[in-house]
Order: sequence, then C-alpha cells, then structure tokens
Amino acid sequence: MTHLTLDQVDRDGALREAGSRLPRKRFLGLAAGGAALLGGLAAPAGAAKSSDIAILNYALTLEYLQAAFYTETERVAAVKGQAARAARVVGAVERAHVAAFRNLLGRKAIKQPSFDFRGTTEDQQAFLKTAVAFEDLAVAAYKGQAHLIESDAILAAAVSIHSVEARHAAWMRHLFGIRPATSAFDESKSKAEILRIVQSTSFIVARPRTRGRGGPRFTG
Amino acid sequence: MRRLTLQLLDHEAAARAARTDPGLTRTRLLQHAVVGGGAFISGGILLGGLPPLAVGARSPEQDVRILNLVLLLEEMEAAFYADAEERGALRGELAEFARIVGDHERAHVAFLRDALGARAEPEPRFDFGDTTSHPDRFAVTAAMLEDTGVAAYNGQAVNLTKPVLKAAAKIVSVEAKHAAWIRDIVGQPAAPDATDKPATERQVRAAVTRTGFVKAAG
Repeated sequence: MTHLTLDQVDRDGALREAGSRLPRKRFLGLAAGGAALLGGLAAPAGAAKSSDIAILNYALTLEYLQAAFYTETERVAAVKGQAARAARVVGAVERAHVAAFRNLLGRKAIKQPSFDFRGTTEDQQAFLKTAVAFEDLAVAAYKGQAHLIESDAILAAAVSIHSVEARHAAWMRHLFGIRPATSAFDESKSKAEILRIVQSTSFIVARPRTRGRGGPRFTG
Repeated sequence: MRRLTLQLLDHEAAARAARTDPGLTRTRLLQHAVVGGGAFISGGILLGGLPPLAVGARSPEQDVRILNLVLLLEEMEAAFYADAEERGALRGELAEFARIVGDHERAHVAFLRDALGARAEPEPRFDFGDTTSHPDRFAVTAAMLEDTGVAAYNGQAVNLTKPVLKAAAKIVSVEAKHAAWIRDIVGQPAAPDATDKPATERQVRAAVTRTGFVKAAG
C-alpha cells in the first residue's frame, strides 16, 4: 500500500504553531450557502435519529479538523503557488461543510476542539502531505458511514460531500506529485479506525491554548 | 433542479462541440467546460432545490435497474479510454491518465457484470467520433464522463439496498478522483463546489443519449 495515512505525517522538526486564532471572515457567503444546502435537505427530518446525530457529529469533527487546517495554512501564508490556491478553495469548502453540519445539528452540534497542527501548515511539503492524508481519511470515513445513515436526506447530503472529499484527495495528490487515483476501489474505514488515526496525530489538543478572540495586540 | 440540468447540458454541449466542430480550439473547448464548472459553483449551494431522488422502496429488483444504469456509464468510460489508447494520440500525463483510468473502469465493469450476473444488460456499441484522437477533446470529454459518473452514483445512493450502497460507495469516490485528476490536468477547478450534485436516472439517461456516443443496443 502506498496510501499515506495520518500516522505517517511527519511531526518531527515541527515549528510551533504561532497562534490558535482561526479567522472566519472570508467565504462567509459560501459557508452560509452550505448551511442552506443541508438545512433545506433535512428540513422535513427535524427529529433525526440518535444514530444519525452521532454520525453527523463524527463528520463534523473531521470537517472541523480539515477546515482549521486549511484556514491556518491560509493565514500563515507559507504555502505558495498552486498549493496555496488549493488550500484557499478547499478551505472554503470545508468551512461550508462545517457550517452546514452545525446548522443541521443546531444545539446538538459538538463544539470545535482546539488544534495544534505541529508545523504542517508552515511548510509546503508538510502541508501537501498532511492534506493528502486528511482528504484520504475523510473519504474513507464518509464511505464507512453511508450505509449506516437512516435518513435519506442526510444520506443524499453525505454522499454529495463524500465525492467532493475524493476530488480534494485527488487534487492534493496531484499537487504533491503522486498518483491521484491508485486503485479501482476505495476502501472504507470504521469510525474506531479513523478516530484512532486522528488521535495518533496529536493535532487535536485537550484545551485551547488561548481563549482570546484575536492574535496578540502588540508584537513589539 | 434547473442548475443541475444546466450543468449536465453544458457538459453535453462541450462534448457535442468536441465531436462535431472541426475548428474548435483548446481555448474554446475549455470555455465550454468551464461554463459547466461555473454552473457547479453558482448552483452548488442550493441543494434545497434538488429533484426528488428517491424513486421507490429499496429492493433487489430496483438494485438491478440501477446497477444496469451505472454499468452503461462504466462501459462507455471503459470503451472511451480503450479507444483513446488504441488511437495513440495522447502523450505524457494524458496517456498515463487514459491507461490508468481505463484499467479502473474495466475493473468497475467486471465488478458490476459479476454482481448482475445474467441480469446484466448487453453492452451497446459506441462511437466516440474524434474525441479520442485529439488530446483537448479527449480531456473535455473525459471530464464530462467522470463528472456524470459521480452525479449518477450520488443520485442513486438513496435508492440502493444497503449492501449494494456499500459496494457502490467504493466506486463513486474513484470516479470523483478521476474527475478531479483530469480537471486539474487541463487547468480546470478540480473540485468546483462544496457538494457534487446528484442526477436522477432520467437525467443520466438523457445525458447519455445526448452524447451521441451510443450507436446501437448490444
């Protein structure tokens, strides 16, 4: 298997993340649109089953992770060229997914965890490698849940996001210089497998390092 | 619904132009295709306006009909890439794309035929005109075919029984990777929207007809 996994993401020599602020002012239009999309779909199914709620919150966790990663990459601005463009576009989409799931879940939505991407947003190659791993992971995760979803509306939305994650995976692979589609069939991963991999990255940290809304007011 | 139709129509227009317009330049071909991308972007956020996707209670009989629908698409793709390889007009990464993706599509056809057994419909005869002998036409047509494959699988997710859905999910993401790959090769947005629009069976069959690639029932 040549598939990258998050386990393989290089965490050595990582520069410390400069701050935990995740600016959200850009692409609000897209995010709002994403919310309208899922909200519209699920409107009749106001009372989703608890198993579907759990799946939605699981998906939301992965989308939080991705959105924060791309948003931070864009803010740090160390990634250049086509990769920077991809980070911007994909980041906007992941934020739209987050907004849509949060909207759909309402008060049942889990809160966003704090992240420490351990320098992977500050280096071109580390960024691409991590992006490939994140996108492959998301594809395997959605694929593992599709047949478990009870609501048709949520299923229709989930599969339409699943294939977008696959597009992202191929795009990031292409930018990283590896084959975008390696086999005729993509395998799924269970929730337990995915969460184990996510945990192994140490990207999710126990508590926020700072609770401030902005960065440092003065730097000198 | 209007947006989704528009998106498919734009792809069809691109494919038609690729087939019939002898003076078509790369720029104009890409313009055709980019219109499709634009429709993705502007229409993408309005899933609320989707056509009803569920057509009836899930059943093994319904699975057969749906698997035959995607079999037709997979056969068209497999034949398209085989034709392109045979003509030998592709170079570099496009040639690599045709070879690798062709392998995947043939594996999908074999998988679906195996699943359908005696209930698989016979393969029709295809004629791809000169879309397989010009690199730019090949690329635009490949993107159209792969995007249509993604839309078709996504549109049927709610109609499949769970075991078949599980299997189909292993294929659709590969189609999406193909779509993103060919789009990125030709400098189009690889993932132009936050969600991939699903297509109904009727829309997919209409799109297949309008390509003009199906010459005779098998």
